[in-house]
Amino acid sequence: MVGGFRWAAMFPDEVWEHVFSFLPADADRNAAALVCRAWYRIERRSRWRVFVGNCYAVEPAAAVRRFPEVRAAAIKGKPHFADFNLVPSDWGGGAEAWVEAMVEGWPHLEELRLKRMVVSDDCLELIARCFKNFKVLSLVSCEGFSTAGLAAIAANCRNLRELDLHENEVEDNCLHWMSHFPESFASLVTLNIACLEERLVGLLHRVPQLVDLGTGKFAAQHHPELFSKLESAIAGCKNLKSLSGFWEAGPTYLPAIYSVCEGLTSLNLSYATIQGPELIKLISWCKNLQRLWVMDLIEDDGLIAVAASCKLLQELRVFPSDPYGAAQPISLTEHGLVAISAGCPMLHSVLYFCRQMTNAALLTVAKNCPNFTCFRLCIMEPHTPDYITRQPLDAGFSAIVESCKHLRRLSLSGLLTDLVFKSIGASANCLEMLSVAFAGDGDAGLHYILSGCKNLRKLEIRDCPFGDKPLLDNAAKLETMRSLWMSSCSVTLGACRQLARKMPLLNVEVINERKRGLPLELQPDNCPVEKLYIYRTVAGPRSDTPSCVWILR
Amino acid sequence: MELELGLALPGSDRTPELGVHGEKRASLCRKRGVDEMLAKATLPLFIQKDNDEDGDDDSRQSKHLQDLNFGSRVLVGWPPVKMWRRKSNNCSRRRANCVKVNMEGVAIGRKVDLSLHDSYQAFFLTLGQMFPKKQHDGEESDAAYYKVTYEDEDGDWMLVGDVPWEAFIQSVRRLKILN
Repeated sequence: MVGGFRWAAMFPDEVWEHVFSFLPADADRNAAALVCRAWYRIERRSRWRVFVGNCYAVEPAAAVRRFPEVRAAAIKGKPHFADFNLVPSDWGGGAEAWVEAMVEGWPHLEELRLKRMVVSDDCLELIARCFKNFKVLSLVSCEGFSTAGLAAIAANCRNLRELDLHENEVEDNCLHWMSHFPESFASLVTLNIACLEERLVGLLHRVPQLVDLGTGKFAAQHHPELFSKLESAIAGCKNLKSLSGFWEAGPTYLPAIYSVCEGLTSLNLSYATIQGPELIKLISWCKNLQRLWVMDLIEDDGLIAVAASCKLLQELRVFPSDPYGAAQPISLTEHGLVAISAGCPMLHSVLYFCRQMTNAALLTVAKNCPNFTCFRLCIMEPHTPDYITRQPLDAGFSAIVESCKHLRRLSLSGLLTDLVFKSIGASANCLEMLSVAFAGDGDAGLHYILSGCKNLRKLEIRDCPFGDKPLLDNAAKLETMRSLWMSSCSVTLGACRQLARKMPLLNVEVINERKRGLPLELQPDNCPVEKLYIYRTVAGPRSDTPSCVWILR
Repeated sequence: MELELGLALPGSDRTPELGVHGEKRASLCRKRGVDEMLAKATLPLFIQKDNDEDGDDDSRQSKHLQDLNFGSRVLVGWPPVKMWRRKSNNCSRRRANCVKVNMEGVAIGRKVDLSLHDSYQAFFLTLGQMFPKKQHDGEESDAAYYKVTYEDEDGDWMLVGDVPWEAFIQSVRRLKILN
């Protein structure tokens, strides 16, 4: 390295910008920005896509100031466990601060993706009015808005290419919001909405170029003539690659999509209460599927059929049709998972809800699929052992992490001791997100994870006997991660206070929803902490905490 | 669903004692200080929002009813199925409702899970697939041509289709298809 020589000035800025445009990942751009002041300056002016994994990690104004040319932004709010009702509804994650800063500093914004945030109709109206070239709106698992806000988007965003609104809590107060879409809507390529109404069918005729279509419930029994209109509308969408929703009505409506099955690469039937034989028939048409989401009604037989016909399958998710029933009318077991792992050579991502598992099955899956990037297994009854040997499932999950060297995401379940954490800590070098529930014997389990897993970004734990010691011993690790969630564990307030004092770049949020007794400031150190959310931030403590959340300093 | 009153899992050799947070004590776990145990003992066993200041009592109640019963307490948010998915599926309200179906003259009967059907139309479709029937001219017949009877809760045999679907699925005990 030649000291003092301004080697960055060898080329004009535009050349470096062009070079940086080849850097695929934000991490690479971040690294480039650290090389020298000139590269920092050039990189920040040329970055047009930002991802903010935690909306509270940075002040919106600061992000907008640093990267003035952003065209596409993605922001995430609430912790993942908010999906399962573990985070108080008023916890935070409001989008206004971000939308206001973006409207101010990124007037050319084209693309906005928000996940698990509270988005008001005012936000939607701002977006619709202020971003003249807006092309992509994706709101996933969000809440706080109504179809009136969507009407503003439909009416004003004339160049909309993608509207993805899946799994949101939307208040339906504007019945015909879709009528605000332009008559000639040649730009729309992705439409994924939570409600299906008759006008959707009309809209479909106007968007034959649609590639991605998703709807929610389809109460088709009330609209029998809608079926044939739907069938012809879908058949007209010759570019359709991705389909989801619609199927609550049952098997009678499946024929509506037969015409497009062969072209489908993604099919989401996870709302479909359709039994195995019908599912098998449908899926046998879909030879090019890369992604399949289904209910466990598909059963082992159905998965064996999928393994035989969908050789391009990369991602499989199997959801429980009856998560709370103890009765087991569904024959979905470890055999289905093993069949898929054996039959689909390109499989790399699995989410699987079931009621029984064996170490042997997991070992087989690990051997068949060393390329897994995401493995999430949920055995629905906590502490379920290997049902044949009655042993913990440590060996099975250990095999997964040892075999799958590129594993980035892992969810554990079943009966597990500290041994599994030892394996994960030692072997899971690419692991970025780990979800743990009802597992482990004690502090050692958490210590193995925090002292290993060098790429860990998100750790979420519930109902495990992990206490103060591993947290305090690995405090520095927490600053290398995006966030840590722990609920119903054995952490005390004293440890949280120590952690907060020791690590100024962490927000240590203690969530205590039972409003009785002394306020948290006056509680003793040995007071148990119900829920703990720790995240790194350069923005300091946030100012929008509700009464049940304390940020310790 | 059988209510599991014991703290052990069915068929398991261990009888783990579950602490307030569900953590296993003694044989499986680390040592807990006595103070910690006592401190925990002051927390209630159920995770409930009993001081509901925001109103919306009903929706919170129903959310709790949807959660899994585990040992002595209600588990919030387990299994980890998204709230939105639960609502849209109405999974928690669905209980398997299997009834036997026999066709006259056919030795082997079948079983139909009525909870997976929401209308007579869907139900007949399934029946038609279970018992495919060929007309004299070789065409496969519509299941609607079947005469399907059912035994109701009073033991009487009735013709399927006369009462609204919801009433039918409550009272049906078994089915017979007449040839």
